[in-house]
Parts: sequence; structure tokens; C-alpha cells
Amino acid sequence: MAVNASPSPILSRPLAYGATSLGILALAWVLATSVLGWVGPEVLPSPLAVIARFANLIVEPFAGAALFGHVLASLERWSYGVFFAIVLGVPFGIFFAWVPWFRAVVNPVFETLRYIPPFAWVPIAILWFGASTATQAMVVFIAAFPACVINAQLGVQHVDNILVQAARVFGADQLNTLRRVVVPVATPSIFTGIRIAISNGWMALVGAELVVGKTGLGFLIAQGQQNDSVSTIFVGIIAIGVLGVLIDLCVQRLERRLMPWQLP
Amino acid sequence: MLEPSATPKLELRNITKWYGPEGTGVLAVDDCSVSVQKGEFVCVVGPSGCGKSTLMTVGAGLEEATHGEILIDGKPAGKPGPRRSVVFQKFALFPSETVAQNIKFGLQMTNVPRDEQERRVQQQLEIMGLTQFRDSYPSQLSGGMQQRVAIARALAMQPEILLMDEPFGALDAQTRTILQEEVQRLSHQMHYTVLFITHSVEEAVYLSDRVIVMSRRPGRIKKEIQLPRDVAWKRGDIEQAAEHPEFIEARREIWALVREEIMAA
Amino acid sequence: MRRIANGNLVLVSAAACVVWIAVWAWITRSGGPVSSLFLPSPGDVVERFGRMWVKPYIGSTLLGHVFSSLSIVLAGWALGGIVGVPLGVAMAWWPRVKWLVFPIFQLIRPVPPLAWIPLTLVWMGIGEPARIFVVFIAALVPWLMNSMQAVGSVDPLLIDAGRTLGASDGKILTRIVCRTALPTLIAGARIALGNAWTTLVAAELLAATAGLGYVALNASRMLDTDVLVVAMLLIGLLGVLLSLLMKLATHVLAPWSLSQQKG
Repeated sequence: MAVNASPSPILSRPLAYGATSLGILALAWVLATSVLGWVGPEVLPSPLAVIARFANLIVEPFAGAALFGHVLASLERWSYGVFFAIVLGVPFGIFFAWVPWFRAVVNPVFETLRYIPPFAWVPIAILWFGASTATQAMVVFIAAFPACVINAQLGVQHVDNILVQAARVFGADQLNTLRRVVVPVATPSIFTGIRIAISNGWMALVGAELVVGKTGLGFLIAQGQQNDSVSTIFVGIIAIGVLGVLIDLCVQRLERRLMPWQLP
Repeated sequence: MLEPSATPKLELRNITKWYGPEGTGVLAVDDCSVSVQKGEFVCVVGPSGCGKSTLMTVGAGLEEATHGEILIDGKPAGKPGPRRSVVFQKFALFPSETVAQNIKFGLQMTNVPRDEQERRVQQQLEIMGLTQFRDSYPSQLSGGMQQRVAIARALAMQPEILLMDEPFGALDAQTRTILQEEVQRLSHQMHYTVLFITHSVEEAVYLSDRVIVMSRRPGRIKKEIQLPRDVAWKRGDIEQAAEHPEFIEARREIWALVREEIMAA
Repeated sequence: MRRIANGNLVLVSAAACVVWIAVWAWITRSGGPVSSLFLPSPGDVVERFGRMWVKPYIGSTLLGHVFSSLSIVLAGWALGGIVGVPLGVAMAWWPRVKWLVFPIFQLIRPVPPLAWIPLTLVWMGIGEPARIFVVFIAALVPWLMNSMQAVGSVDPLLIDAGRTLGASDGKILTRIVCRTALPTLIAGARIALGNAWTTLVAAELLAATAGLGYVALNASRMLDTDVLVVAMLLIGLLGVLLSLLMKLATHVLAPWSLSQQKG
């Protein structure tokens, strides 16, 4: 490709356009709320109001806790659910792919339950565990588990048979073949599953907290709605989005650490 | 010459292999017998899809033959194990392990003492010219280098029998020539017992003591050709060898047989 | 991975189904280890299903609730398509549109669709528009992403070929681009429908007066476990049906893509 002869601008064109569109959006927001006052704060709060509310929520408890408390509560439930989904789901998926009769036995149940969306489990989770951490953790688990299982299974199924043969030729038993050949080769797929599981779990958690519970970010926005405080809802939504992105970034980091043999 | 009556190191006796149910599935190999004496280098040549690779997987113990048996020193060979090492066409290196770890893999699986493992890995790295790639991952190496690692991995086991399944099939021409010469040199020095599958007639003539020509599918043994052993032209490089009258004659004869099969298909 | 007799495994699966249901029945039998409050027996579920089919439960019969759920899902899903596809195509076709819209989109994407529910409740109140809006947001992302990808992945060589044959931009878009892009687009529609269904159930837990999610939550509050299980299974079943429907659509609309998928 020919090198562009014109001097490079400070911003590339896509970035300039992006900045423009975001700028217009922000400007419209400011104009509509603060300057012209077309929409009242009960419909759309001004950016300043949201920032003020954010600062306020950090220091002052609302709906039982300050913002940080809600974040911690959400993260705690989420990590329980995701932890068990990974710890149980990944080995389950590997086993699923490796032992055909096991898959044949369990698959009917797995497939039936998999098609029930995680939120449909919220009512029964409430029935079983009441309004406790376990309820939300269970919903997170149910949202995260299938992704772990399915991707681990696919990863193992897609391992080139010749590698399994090579392992056998060099004297590896089933366990060693799994440990040293099959699982490492399936790791990228397993990680894809974990990433999906993590974001599914995060989504499901928000849903569960909207319905049941006394803390958490989902509860925070639900309470914002109850109290007609749209700015609180905004703060909650932004916090949920930002945390979701941060979690995904962490996992991507970890992924690169754990798989040095992957070419960039 | 070898004693023809001696018990073969490796014997594939009356091997028949059906994929799917017998009679209605695909007949890959039909009543093939191949024997390799100790220290002998035997090549199996045939048109592609003739079942020569099947013969290999069965010979390695990776698949069960429908009929027939595999014998080592006259006794049933059993499951795949350290007595038979395999070099695969597609290298089959473990992608998550470094070169050294790949070479060490079989040694660890068969409980070779730790310092002996190190010694053999070091030795193979030197022989195959891989010392500087010791800690590289397979994906960082060229195809030729990867196949060197695969050969090193197989040789580190100090196997009684080496099975090679079109090991140079996936390589470019130059790399292939270099590796052919290297294998020739190694087998001369170490007197390995080798069963080598290839579709290249030149490769077979250059490397082996005996060439077995297979028919098209279902694979049967068409003919066996004894080649001169311990002759000077085999010790040089392959280009020189290819000019020797004995080479030319053998190649012509084998090519004619293979061509017959390809044309008849 | 390994060669196995497939026929045998199907048999094993079928036998396993029977065994699982038997286990379910056994542990939930009267006097069994699991209370019917915790998990109803299969018999109770079937019986309850029959009763709900004819007699109204919180407002309408089962069919009525199903209809309510489906109509909202389809409305939100279709709306997602109506907005998402043209926008996605435009974004792939004119880089400037992409540069303008994509950042906003990236900003909104990490927020789970459900988090919008409280906001929509404030804006629109409890009612169908609120639910349709939430479903719309959930469906929009795959619609848009896939139509953008679909058009973007069309071989430029084909477009050039079209140009040299004298086709106008509009003709190229309809004749070449849309046809090659159809499989990816349909895949997007399928994902969108799945997302829509999942999100609807959540929306019904929060802001509904009918629908299967609403039935499930009510059943949970009234400790009607059998109703709850009926609702859950029906939600799952409808999810399967919707997904099958989309597969069928792929068969009809883009049969050439099926052989590729097998790969």
C-alpha cells in the first residue's frame, strides 16, 4: 500500500467523526435538560445532575448502602455464581466431549434445561432460597454454566485426533492425554466460554437483583425507579456498564498470561 | 544380506481393515502382510488413498485391524507403546508445549529417570540441530523445523521400531531434500528398524532397503522390490544418488508399477 | 473425536430420558424425599398444565399468556430488525455513518438490556410499550451487528465485477450484496430472537400483567410450584420452537448457506 502523503492530522477521520457524534449527543443532552429545559429531571436528568448524584451516592447510603456497597454486593453474588459455573462447567464439558456415553445420558436433561432462559429461574430460585445471596448466585450460575460446558465441549471435540494418537503412541494414558494435550489445546475455546459465561452472568445478575434482593446495582436502579429518581437509575446503569467492561478486560489479560503458546 | 528366515522385528500379518461394518463399509486394506527385519528400512509406496496410511495406524496399534495381527519379535504387539515410535505426516506436535517438552513427553510418560530424560533431550536437540529452539513453541517454527522436532521426539524414545507416515509430505521441496538426507545419514549410523510410508518413488528408492508397492484401494501388496544395501551412492546426497544407474533402474521399475495402479483407477 | 456407533448413543439417550423422568417422579412421590413445595411431581405438572389450558389463571388461560408473550417478543424483535438492518447496512456501506454511529453504539452495548427496564418503567409505565422497548433493545444489537458484518464481508471483487457490468449502486446493493449477505443476516435474526425471548421473560417478571414470566413470578409468590414448573417448561419449549422456526427460515431463504455451516 502507498503511504499517505498528506500530513497526518491530530485525529484520524474515524476518531474525528466519533468524537463529533458523541459531542453532539452530549450537547443535545445538555441543551435539552439544563439550557432549554425541554425535558424535566423526572424524565431525563441533566449530565450535571447525574454527576452530582454519582458523587452523592458514593458518600451517602441509598437503598441500604452507598454505591460502593452495592457494587460489592453485586460482585460478591456474581463471583459465587461464576466461580461455581466455571469450576463445575468446564470439567463437565470436557467430560462431556471425552466420554460419549456420559453425554448420551446427561444431554437430554442438559438440553431441556438449557433452553429455559436464566430469568425464568428467578421465581423458582426465590421459592427455593428466598431473598438471599444464594438466589442471585443461582441465577448467575444458571446463566453462566451452559457457556462453560458448551465451549469446553467444543474445544475438546475440535482437538485434532492426530494429537490424541500421538499422545497414545508416546505412552500417555487417558488422564495424561487430557492434562497435557487435550485440555491445553482446548484452552482458547474454554476461555471463550468463560468470557461468555462471565458476561452472561453479569447480565443475569442485574435481572435477578431487579426482582429480588435488598442490595446490589440492580436493586439500586429498581429503587431509583420506585423513588422516581432517574438520575439514580443513570448512575446505576453506567456503573453496571463500566464494571462489565472492566471485568471483560481483566479476563482478556488473564487469557494472554495463561496461554503463552498462542501466537498474537 | 539379512537372513530371510529370521523372526522379523515387526510383522503385519494378513492385515484386513474395514471402516464401518465388515462387508458393507469401506475396505481400506485387504490381506496385507509386511515384515521388517531388525535394522531394515522398508518403504511402502502406493497411489494416494490406497490404504498405506491405514496400514501404518494399524501397525502402530492406534486402530484395531479387522483381521490379522501385529507382531513384534514374533509376539503380539498390543497397545501402542514406547517400543514403536511414530512420526506423523502433520507433525502432531503438542502446541502448548515447547520443543524440549515435546521431545521429553514420551520419556515422562514411560517413567524414564529424570537425568536420563535430560540427557536424551539434549542429545536429540543436538542431533537434529534444534538446540537454539529448545524453548520455542511449535507454532514459532517452520514446517521443516517442526518435523525435526517430531523426529527427535520419536528417536528420544530409543524405539525398537520407527514408523514414519509420509513424514515429508507436508514440506516444501528444499526442506524435504535436506531432511531426506538427514534421515538417510541417521539410519545409516544407527541402524534403525524403520517402516516408512510415502507416495514418492524417489524417496523410497533413496532411503529404503526394500520397497513394497501397494495397489489402489482396497490396498493389497502388489510387489516387493529388494534394493541394494550399503552401497556408496546411497550415502551421498539425493541428487547424486538419482544419477546412479541402479537408482534409475529401480525408480523406473517402481514407477511403472505405481503408474499402472493410478491409471487403472 | 472418536468413532462411536451413533445408533447406540441415541438409544442410550432415549433410555436416559425415561430414567430421568422416573427419578423425578420417584423423588417427588408423596412421602418422598423432595417436598412438592420444592419440586412438583411430573404427574402434578401434567395435570396442572391440562387445567391451565382450559381454565384462566391470573387473568387468562395458558394460551392467552403464551399469546401475550409471543406478541411482545415478535413486536420487539421486528422493530429491532426494522431499525437495525437498514442502520447496519448503511454503516457497512458508508464508512462515515459507521464512524458516527458506532461510538454511541459501543457506549451503550456493555449495558445489559435488562438494566433499561427501570428507565423504561419511568418513561412509559407498566405496559406493553415498555416491554416491547426492552425487547427491542435486546434484539437490536445482533440485528445491527450481523447486518453490518454481512454487508462488510461481501467480496469487493464481486462489487467491482458488478460495477464493470454497469450496475448502479442500488442494483449492486440489492442484487449482489444482499444475496451474499443473507445467511449472516438470518443468523443475526436468529440470535436477535433468542435474545428477545430471554429478555422478555425478565421484563415480564418486572413490568407485566400477563405473559409466562408474570405467571411464573406469581406462582412463586403463591407457592404454586406446579404452575411455576409449567410456566418454565413452556418458556423453554417456546424458546426451542422459535429457534427451530428460524432454522427453517434459513432452509427456505438461504439454503446455500447450510452446507457451509457443516464445514
